[in-house]
Amino acid sequence: MNDLIRSAIAAEAEERVDSRTVLAELHKAKKRRKPLGLIIGVASLTAAAAAAAVIIPTAVKKTDASPATNPPATVTAQNVLLLGLDSYGFTDTIVYARFETDGSVSAVSLPRDVWTGGAGGQKINHLFQEDPAKLTDAVEKMTGTKVDHYAAVKMSELGKVADAVGGVEICLTAPAKDQFSGVDLPAGRSTVKGEQALAFLRQRYGLRNGDLDRIKRHQAFLTALAAKITKENALPVAREIGRTIHVDQGWDVLEFAQRFRGPVKIRTATLPVGPEEITSTGAGFVVDQAQAKQFVEKQFGGGAPAEPGCVS
Amino acid sequence: MDNEGGGVGFDQFVAERLDRLLRYATAIACDKHLAQDIVQDVLIRAQNKWDRIGAMDAPYLYVKRMVTNDYLSWRRRKAAREVAVERGELAKHVPSMADPADAHAEREAMRARIAVLPRKQRAALVLRFYEDCSDAEIAQVLGCTESTVRSQLSRALQTLRAHELARSATLGVHS
Repeated sequence: MNDLIRSAIAAEAEERVDSRTVLAELHKAKKRRKPLGLIIGVASLTAAAAAAAVIIPTAVKKTDASPATNPPATVTAQNVLLLGLDSYGFTDTIVYARFETDGSVSAVSLPRDVWTGGAGGQKINHLFQEDPAKLTDAVEKMTGTKVDHYAAVKMSELGKVADAVGGVEICLTAPAKDQFSGVDLPAGRSTVKGEQALAFLRQRYGLRNGDLDRIKRHQAFLTALAAKITKENALPVAREIGRTIHVDQGWDVLEFAQRFRGPVKIRTATLPVGPEEITSTGAGFVVDQAQAKQFVEKQFGGGAPAEPGCVS
Repeated sequence: MDNEGGGVGFDQFVAERLDRLLRYATAIACDKHLAQDIVQDVLIRAQNKWDRIGAMDAPYLYVKRMVTNDYLSWRRRKAAREVAVERGELAKHVPSMADPADAHAEREAMRARIAVLPRKQRAALVLRFYEDCSDAEIAQVLGCTESTVRSQLSRALQTLRAHELARSATLGVHS
């Protein structure tokens, strides 16, 4: 009887539809997925910029937000942590961003060497790897805001992201050359992609303010990258990012994506920190909570976009 | 692009496995259109999380599990019942119409009887007799224990054997 069963099942299976019709359907479905691609692209770009730390507090002017378009009723403003992970899984860049319903973004870079819980305590860049909830809790406590979601990408993928948009234009106040990162760029404007884009984002040695200078580079890269995202390249970008992006469960990315209708404008700033302090566990920064809350509230509240300009 | 861990890309997976998945889904659903719907839905979902699936040791087994779960899910129950009713009608007619000596007719009769088995029993049967899976692999795909797999299979075989005997008796054939 077994052979009879075998041949009966094989005959049933033989009835399947032509796989080409299924391929065609899959192809159509791919095209329909554009909004999702766009959002992931934007999120990842922003994560790239995650380094953002504008040390010089930008004079933020509050302006009356004029609602240009009426977004769907379901879309709400959301606070998202955009994280760039190094090869050990530490958050090398942390950008805390508020996505408004009209698609505009205000971002605050949180320097990775910030201690949570006072000098010599745990560095903020170790929390995510232990438990994402530890990082979101710390950020909520520090800023007095609610973290709605997070998205993490590997920093090492950003070179490919720059490739996907045909290069990202950056501007240096002085030539950059460093054997550790492999960066070798002239002063003035350059278009970086691939390895050079990564090296530009990675260089920390030889910069006067170390990571804080690097944060400015990340912000400049992020802003320039976001401006280059179009409907046409959003999918390739999303595909690169999509390989390693990690978002929290329960994030309705489609709802989130609805707010993006055109080029994404990002205002960046860096959380103000105290002077660098050296303890037995290493060097780091202390954050004044009251000052941090006020700063984030002001930055998320709106204002004119700050031009990142040329960076050191 | 590097695929760490020797993972396979989604497009390559589809190119290599789509036809086999369609055959498998058609065999368990006994309806090529229902099978097509299921495979399409599953692949679209799989694509969205391919970085995870592609890095697994056995992506095909995982996708097959998705297909099976989808077929066994409540939302496919109505469609599956309609197929079963239709095939049940067919099954009644096959023996009387066919010459028992004809291998083709034998096979068609068996096909009709398999089509009216409970869904999970049929899935287990297809995994064993078409996909050549071990008890452990079937358990993984169906999301149950190996002893449940064995009981599902033995119940399916008992049913088929009973029908086979009844049919042979009415036709006066000794198998």
